[in-house]
Amino acid sequence: MRRKTGTSRFADKPFEDLGHISEPDVSDKLEDNERQIRTVFDKCADLVVRRLDLPGSVPCLAVYLNMLIDDTLWDEGVLKPLLNLDAEPQNADRFLEDMVIRLGSSMKPQIADNMPDIVRNIVQGSVVLFIEGQKRALRFFANTKLHRQLDEPVTEAIIRGPRIGFIENIDVNMSLLRQYIRSPLLKIERMSAGSVSQTEVTIAYLETYAPQSVIDEIYKRLERLNLESIISSGYVEELISDHPNSPFPTIQATERPDTVAASLIEGKAALLVSGTPMVLVMPITFWFGFQSVEDYFMSFIFATMLRWLRFTFAFMAMALPALFVAITTFHQEMIPTSLALSLAAAREVVPFPAMIETLIMETTFEALREAGVRLPRPVGQTISIVGALVIGQAAVQAGIISAPIIIVVSMTGIASFLLPHYGMSQAISLLRFGMVFLGGMFGLYGVVAGMIALLIHLSNLQSFGVPYLWPIAPFNRLGLMDVFIRVPWQYMKKRKWHKEQQLELDKS
Amino acid sequence: MKRSRTFIRWFFLLIPCLALSGCWDRRELDEIAIVMGSGVDLTDDGQIELSLQIALPMGIQGNMQMAGKKKPVMLVSSKGTVSQDQIGQIQQQLSRRIFFGHRAVFIIGENFARHGVDQTLDTMLRFPDSRYNCFILTSKGATAKEVLNSPYPLEVIPSIGMKNMQVGKYTFAERIDKFLDSFAAKGFMPATGAIRLIKNGQESSFVIDGEAVYRENKLVGYLSGTHSKAFKLMRDQGSGMKIPVPIEPAGKLSTGMITADLLTTRREVRTFVSQGSPKIEVEFRAKGRIIANDTTLDLSKPANLSRAEQMLSNELQKMISGLIEQTQKEFQSDVLGFGDILHIQHPYAWKKLQTEWLDTYPEVPVKVLASIILERIGRTQKPGHLPK
Repeated sequence: MRRKTGTSRFADKPFEDLGHISEPDVSDKLEDNERQIRTVFDKCADLVVRRLDLPGSVPCLAVYLNMLIDDTLWDEGVLKPLLNLDAEPQNADRFLEDMVIRLGSSMKPQIADNMPDIVRNIVQGSVVLFIEGQKRALRFFANTKLHRQLDEPVTEAIIRGPRIGFIENIDVNMSLLRQYIRSPLLKIERMSAGSVSQTEVTIAYLETYAPQSVIDEIYKRLERLNLESIISSGYVEELISDHPNSPFPTIQATERPDTVAASLIEGKAALLVSGTPMVLVMPITFWFGFQSVEDYFMSFIFATMLRWLRFTFAFMAMALPALFVAITTFHQEMIPTSLALSLAAAREVVPFPAMIETLIMETTFEALREAGVRLPRPVGQTISIVGALVIGQAAVQAGIISAPIIIVVSMTGIASFLLPHYGMSQAISLLRFGMVFLGGMFGLYGVVAGMIALLIHLSNLQSFGVPYLWPIAPFNRLGLMDVFIRVPWQYMKKRKWHKEQQLELDKS
Repeated sequence: MKRSRTFIRWFFLLIPCLALSGCWDRRELDEIAIVMGSGVDLTDDGQIELSLQIALPMGIQGNMQMAGKKKPVMLVSSKGTVSQDQIGQIQQQLSRRIFFGHRAVFIIGENFARHGVDQTLDTMLRFPDSRYNCFILTSKGATAKEVLNSPYPLEVIPSIGMKNMQVGKYTFAERIDKFLDSFAAKGFMPATGAIRLIKNGQESSFVIDGEAVYRENKLVGYLSGTHSKAFKLMRDQGSGMKIPVPIEPAGKLSTGMITADLLTTRREVRTFVSQGSPKIEVEFRAKGRIIANDTTLDLSKPANLSRAEQMLSNELQKMISGLIEQTQKEFQSDVLGFGDILHIQHPYAWKKLQTEWLDTYPEVPVKVLASIILERIGRTQKPGHLPK
């Protein structure tokens, strides 16, 4: 994959699966061209090859894939003007250039001169027009505008803020971004990836805001992609991520254009992948998992409070069951006496050790959560609520699980939903199990050892050159303004601290 | 290279985990017998009897299906010569491991205390999970076992009742660590709260009043009444104490008593050593308010108020010097810790004094000064029941 900034949307690729093209040049005989197109698109039922005469009885051949073409656009926008061209072309050599000038711009008429380009254009939804006696062809865009309506993002609902989310169509997504940032500084570079799927991938960033080293790094990694197809941004995310083996996300996936626009202004880069509403934002730090775009829309006091709530509950989501297990099985003297007695009373009839109990309930909870996502929407909610109630209540009454465990697990469940980013909440849910093991085997000592191990791991992480724990480690005073507190906008010096970050990155 | 370093890091992080802790140390909450209180007695045949009050979680309210059907606590005891061995004997009777982490009170039986306590205390407290902030009490007129066996209507678990009594400021409270400190100190004799059984109609219960005074490792007697109050004042546990005092002769309508509530107390001990013999001066200052005025006097008048202050000061002075006299003459035990203060103020003299302090203390002259400032009189007018 190569970077291109010119008019051509797609780069040449050394390896591309375009079928069997025997002759790369366009022939000046329509029969030869037709034969070649028909062999390439053999058994493609939607291929349309249509002969027509242009004014002045110039025979020509229109080729397109029926399913990709908007019929009215083709009829009204291309065919009609073509057939109505009044004057005969004077110059046979400049015939095509003439046509390009005279045809309307809505179809984006362009000249294609080799077969692979033409084939590529056809699969991308163009109409290609071969003309008798010309060694080049004309192509028009007449893509169907097939996409769903702009909708509120489902996974990242907020109370205050725009009710619009990205969709599967990359053009729409880019126009959404352009509407937030109306500046020529917003650079959008396109390329295609996936040797078969030829998926469109776009990098968006603000020039002079985004550190050049980060942009270069993204390109370098994208070039290394060696995939046949890219169906979703998840493919790309995993392949270009710094640490695909870490549970913590080093790339943010979001379907909110406002989040992406704000990130771009913070000097980050966004990667849009055709066919998916999830846009990738990079680089990110650990703290992004506790920041919601809504923090910046509401009063800074509440935003700060919410952040602390998220920090507290993230800690709970990760450590609460582990602490519970560790304390009740190793350090009973730490529990207040009356609580110890009621916990002991609840445990009297339970057959399993506290660790097993916790693991059973945590697994059940995760299963219920996953089932709630998969089940068809009308049944989904009912099943998950009833499931939780029935399993919780019945398990306690049957004496299989003790009631405090249910409380701990449901607290943990609520806590894990408090995080605004799914990736981070998944990471924490996963680590919770490890923590419960450590707590159950080694007590508080194990939990603390686990925490230290996590801290070591986190401080080792990087996202496109940015240390994951920045601005805490390495320390940066200006960066702190948006981590534990959200300072009022008039004191926020984001621009300045991103400059600092940039300097730091360019140094290394 | 980097990978192997990461591996080594994890390895060293986990190895100490295995060495320092491990599943074999695990005990579930339903595998331990939670000891709420324990006591030690000397039986008539000279054996040491150890009793443990163990909580039964099934009998505790809140566990709704079980409540009311079972007793909340059980008492187990065993007799023998060495107390450490008795814990093993008690353990044999129990299906769960004895756990001292929640022990709230430790009761020394009177009989045992009179024969000396230190050896057993050490073996009792040497458990790693035993708490040092557990309260220590001495039984009075009963054995520790009887006290532990006595029900207490207000709390589900009697030991928690005792603990809460000690936490509130109405009884003299001593925790095990302080108690052991005073055992080790030469200028400070141990004292504990005294617990005794009472009969409340049909129901028997216990009450903590007065203090048990030790001389070295033996119980020498109990403080009660005003001496007990004075003891608390001198040990800085006197705030909130009520002091009644007559300030005029009883009349037709009134008893002539006022009652002061102490807000803050301050005790200052000055020691003097002249020609090798010590002298002690105690100055006691308090701030208080009147909470009852059963006299014909209007305390809003400065003259009456200063009269009340005078009488109260005299009363405090009498109380404290009475207490000191009792500790000197009757108990011959320096429970008020004058020796320690002497040690601080005259370290060189103390070097000579400390060896015979036990015998010197009863002879040391002590001068007591007491004063009280009444900050509030409780109401703005004269007593309401008096005719205008």
